[in-house]
Amino acid sequence: MAADARGVDPGDGRVRAPGTGRVSGRPGGARPLAQRAGDRPPAAADWSEVVAHLREGLVVCDADEVVQHVSPVAQQLLPEVVPGRPLGAAGVPGLGAAGDLAGLVHRGRRLAVRRAPLAGGRCCWYVEDVTESAGRAEALVAERARAAFLARAGEKLGNPLHPDRAAAAVARLAVPTLADVAVLVLAPRAGRARWWRAVRAADEAPVVDAGVLPGGDLPPAIGEALAGAQPHALDWLVQQAAEAGWLPGLAPEATDVRVVPLPGVEAPAGVLLVARPADRWYDEADVDLLRAFAARASAALIAAALYRDQAEVADMLQASLLPVEPVETAGVEWGTAYRPAVTGLRIGGDFYGAHRLADGGSLFFLGDVAGKGVDAAVFTGQLRQSLQALHRVESRPGPLLGLVNDALLETTQAHGQGRFATLVLGVVRPHRDGGLTLTMAGGGHLPPLVLRAGGEVETVPLRGMLIGVVPDPRIGEVTVRLAPGETCVLYSDGVTEARGGPRGEDQFGGRRLVDALTGCHRMPAPALAERIEQVTCDWLTHDDHDDIAVLALRAVGRTPRHLHAVPARGPGESA
Amino acid sequence: MIDETTRAGWAGAYAGYLDSLAAADEYAAIDAAVGLLDGGVPAERVLLDLVAPAQAEVGERWARNEWSVAQEHAATHISERVVAAVAGRAAARPTRGRVVVACMDGEWHALPPRLVAEVLRLRGWQVTFLGASVPPAHLVSYLHRHDAYAVALACALPMRLPQAHHMIEVCRRADVPVVVGGRGFAADGRWARRLGVAWAPDAPSAADLVADERALSRVPAAQLDHLADDEYAGLVKRRAELIDGALADLRDRAPATRAYTPAQLDATVSDLGYIVDFLAAALYVDDGSLFTEFVQWLLPVLTSRKVPAAVLGWTLEHYGRVLHDFPRAARYLDRSRALVGGTGGRAA
Repeated sequence: MAADARGVDPGDGRVRAPGTGRVSGRPGGARPLAQRAGDRPPAAADWSEVVAHLREGLVVCDADEVVQHVSPVAQQLLPEVVPGRPLGAAGVPGLGAAGDLAGLVHRGRRLAVRRAPLAGGRCCWYVEDVTESAGRAEALVAERARAAFLARAGEKLGNPLHPDRAAAAVARLAVPTLADVAVLVLAPRAGRARWWRAVRAADEAPVVDAGVLPGGDLPPAIGEALAGAQPHALDWLVQQAAEAGWLPGLAPEATDVRVVPLPGVEAPAGVLLVARPADRWYDEADVDLLRAFAARASAALIAAALYRDQAEVADMLQASLLPVEPVETAGVEWGTAYRPAVTGLRIGGDFYGAHRLADGGSLFFLGDVAGKGVDAAVFTGQLRQSLQALHRVESRPGPLLGLVNDALLETTQAHGQGRFATLVLGVVRPHRDGGLTLTMAGGGHLPPLVLRAGGEVETVPLRGMLIGVVPDPRIGEVTVRLAPGETCVLYSDGVTEARGGPRGEDQFGGRRLVDALTGCHRMPAPALAERIEQVTCDWLTHDDHDDIAVLALRAVGRTPRHLHAVPARGPGESA
Repeated sequence: MIDETTRAGWAGAYAGYLDSLAAADEYAAIDAAVGLLDGGVPAERVLLDLVAPAQAEVGERWARNEWSVAQEHAATHISERVVAAVAGRAAARPTRGRVVVACMDGEWHALPPRLVAEVLRLRGWQVTFLGASVPPAHLVSYLHRHDAYAVALACALPMRLPQAHHMIEVCRRADVPVVVGGRGFAADGRWARRLGVAWAPDAPSAADLVADERALSRVPAAQLDHLADDEYAGLVKRRAELIDGALADLRDRAPATRAYTPAQLDATVSDLGYIVDFLAAALYVDDGSLFTEFVQWLLPVLTSRKVPAAVLGWTLEHYGRVLHDFPRAARYLDRSRALVGGTGGRAA
């Protein structure tokens, strides 16, 4: 807005009266306020000159609201106000009424007006031109709102989200700040384009819906934008968006629409279409804001897709490395617990499992590979595969453990590096009386515990050397009889080495484990395994712990008369 | 149309079911539940009117020291198998979105959320039950991979509320609505309101809430300004020191404690820790009733195990002395000490 001919200096909003830029010595006119010392005694202020330098213009009225005096500044701002005439006759809206007027707009200027009573019923109106300062304040508020909007969007979109959640959030966040209707269309995959739409709802969160369109059915402008072109023909855009049924509650002829691509790695990741009534059309600042939002949205969408892909790959690898639940074996009730140290991963260096043998028995094992995390998990995979293959040629636990040792050593030598493991390996065979015989071989692992029918706990004397360190290691062997109702428990050192106590310095230890199991002879094996996991985790003072694995075998006596199919997990459950 | 015969039948079925829990007879318990299903009782009713109250009774028998922890664990395991059997019989094809149900980290009471999961499943939701004590990292990676419509989190013990809050925030950051439940949020859910999260008193209301998208997203803001006084953080920092001091104080005042077996000593240390943790949780939600309710619950648990009430009084007194510059904590301790009654002096 250009300054008009009224001598307005738009730079600082100050209105300067003509002829008052310098001090003049007009006869009868203003006198300089400050006199040089010793020149003349200080005179009383000459008010008309002082007033001429004020930012505010003055209009003095008598008790009947008839204008008596108009200062030069007021004269410029309110030329209709003339001395000798009633103020109300000037026809300036608001002027003449009592009270302050903050936002009077007159002749294209924004005026701040206030009225102060003077002696004798007279009054003075102070009028200030606040056009520039108000404009600056408004611009600042708008800028702050834009920054706050982007900060809020960044905060929401900065967290890793599921890709569908991220897409819905992008559409939702655009409403109401950027649009009354916002549609996010993702780049088509396999010929189909998914879209999310947020529609402004009165006093409520925007309503979000979603859908899929065949790539060919997309409005042409959207297709062009997805191909990287900036659509220009805005009228067509409104028409196309309306035809796609994307603009509920907006009349196409009175709607302003913009489309921005969401920058991707090669082609745009998607396109954001925003629409709102034309009386709030998109100006340059709005379009800049839209682009800044689109950049954040696109970063969030790309990150979400990467996250999901990564989680999917990790899940698949994890699934192949997770311990497999033991096979059903006559006379045996299995119980397992597994809690890896790195909880986000759900895999670790502990492993267990069981394979059915041709003679009706089962091979079972529980072990611990040095280290934790992915490396250790990969190594457990190798170990389990070795066991799976080798048990077909050798099912006696001692010799089988020797073969596993050889296989590990060979792998270690071939790769110039390797890991060692501790392992308990056993064969369980059912008896006609409902009991079980367990023949076990030990490779440097913690000795198993047996929970007897009377409730007392025995430690199985099973020793042996680490597996995968030396050729022909000393391997311990032991045979244990379980009467019906008795349980054998194999566990990893994550249980006994869990750190707890008041300061987190005491190990859980074998004594506490034995105490926790004593008297639990009537517990089903799965409950027993979970109990060990629970007491171990309850013992932990801090969250960090080593991998925890438990494998329990309970002699259930005669074959269960149980006829109901009870799924181990509920239907549809897949962790 | 519950006539007298079915009422009597139901009472009989319930008593029989409790007996099979007491005998740790998984098959009898499953037979009882499946028999009801076969007799035309809806699955939701079997879960909520048979399994749930029986499990509550199990907890009370443990609290009265009538049942050992081992018996309680065995019964809980059997209840879970019963739920699985009932759910397997009544499997419905999911027609609605995915809901993830999980226990807070460190929380092992998995049966109540399991019941919620099954009720949601019966009402057509695709439910994933992540089980007991779910670490936040596990939940987050699950939410990254699968688009969940909502997460239902269970918390049975109020002392886990600070961790529960963390878990809720984790879901919020993943932009997934949360509904919580369980006794940990108080009988009227007031601690859920304090944490600013939607709360349901039971499984059917949880299912109703999940179905109401607007109610789920309309969440009041958390009111945790009181945390600025740092009492919670300060107490957590001094946890070990407090327990050590309380133990020394007990040994001083009750010479019998000096002759404790290692197992008794462990139990005492963990009780002393629970007292600190509940106090910390009370500070976290700024509600002294959380702590007094805990003390009211703990008193009979201890006395049924031959621990005199005075011992608890001494510990509360000791904590009060050490925490004299924690005004809120000191107030809660004072109030709860009044519940315990006459303290001071030494054990005979």
